[in-house]
Amino acid sequence: MSTDVHTLSGAYALNALGPEEAAEFRRHLDGCQACREEVRELQTAVARMGAAEAVAPPPDLKARILAAADRTRQEPPAGPVTAGTSEPTPIRSAGTSSTAAGEHGRPRWVTWLAAAAATLVVAGGGAYGVQAMLDDEPPLSLAATRVFEAQDAHTATVETTEGGQLTVAVSAGRKEMAVDTRELPALDENHVYQVWSVHGDEMVSAAILSDPEIGAAMGMPDEETQVALTVEPAGGSEQPTTEPIVQVDPYEVLRS
Amino acid sequence: MGSEPGLRLVHSRDPADVNELVSKVARGDSAAFEGLYDALGPAVFGVARRVIRDPNRAEDVAQDVFLEVWRKAPSFDDARGSAKTWIMTIAHRRAVDAVRRNESQKKYDGQAMPEEVQHDEPVERVIQQEEHGAVRTCLETLTELQMESVRLAYFNGYTYAEVATLLDKPLPTIKTRMRDGLIRLRDCLETAR
Repeated sequence: MSTDVHTLSGAYALNALGPEEAAEFRRHLDGCQACREEVRELQTAVARMGAAEAVAPPPDLKARILAAADRTRQEPPAGPVTAGTSEPTPIRSAGTSSTAAGEHGRPRWVTWLAAAAATLVVAGGGAYGVQAMLDDEPPLSLAATRVFEAQDAHTATVETTEGGQLTVAVSAGRKEMAVDTRELPALDENHVYQVWSVHGDEMVSAAILSDPEIGAAMGMPDEETQVALTVEPAGGSEQPTTEPIVQVDPYEVLRS
Repeated sequence: MGSEPGLRLVHSRDPADVNELVSKVARGDSAAFEGLYDALGPAVFGVARRVIRDPNRAEDVAQDVFLEVWRKAPSFDDARGSAKTWIMTIAHRRAVDAVRRNESQKKYDGQAMPEEVQHDEPVERVIQQEEHGAVRTCLETLTELQMESVRLAYFNGYTYAEVATLLDKPLPTIKTRMRDGLIRLRDCLETAR
């Protein structure tokens, strides 16, 4: 990267970098003690700017949060979480990651999609239930849980090309879909799962699962839009750099 | 905003207290977790509310922030930065993720997306604290372009490229204005203590 990469510290502290640049900047931070120090100081100033916006939350929020924490297992101490990087802690390491191709020009995912689609196995629709909430697992994010627990939710569990499963819920009433990513293979700290909406020959990032254990919810895409999942370098990518490991048609789930 | 009637004065905790609370939370202390919510709940919710606007979605984000803190507290290392900064960074990142996800979604949804409902609470209590005055004073030391760049990125969740487009300035200019602005803010806040 260019010599002035460290001038990105301000934009980084403001969370104003795109996913690729943020990932690149984090790699730069790994080898630059002075930059880490600067980022930490700027983040401290930014945190104070944010804290000055404090407003009283709705009174019932506290009880909800305390109750949710009560049902949630804490992660064992792992690699240190620092204010400097504020990235999710590496949880487990596993060898499932692909490396970023860093492609220019025409994306290759058009052909990748056919391969991913061939592996799509709808393992069952129907009620998702609250079992996952009762296990010793972190709960889904609230937004995702709402979709899974919607009265009209349709769900499907799909196997990925890398092993593991992705469970998708679609609610026509809420016009939302959600993914439960807790059964996907664990990634090392340099990789994340990223969800894409695929429409014609365009692929747009729908979510970077920097916190893969709690899933994600998103608005229901148009018909003829598919949802694909790729493994990307930490921080996510502007365009997919690896082959999708799974692809789902939300409307197919809705009809299941 | 700070002069609204009926505002509640909340003593902002010393950062050291927050570090202490997080180290107790790391050992599964739910009373400390409650204390942490009392200390930073308004700040976390306030940032989410400011970035996302929709209070319901801001609540969801605030909940996700505190659950992330609960789960990851055992790995937090206060030698590498304050717990308050850690938590506020998570809060802002999650709020920004929520609005960006929504944006990329809208590109596809068009009419399918339900109308964004703006529930603007008529009276929202601003929680007054020492922080508020110092931050406002220090933000005034920024140049107009520094201030705009910082504000659009932080409170609107724009990337620096989007800020550059909006302000019609070259990318490197915005990049350095953000950094210079934050350095000025940092230096001013340090002396304002």
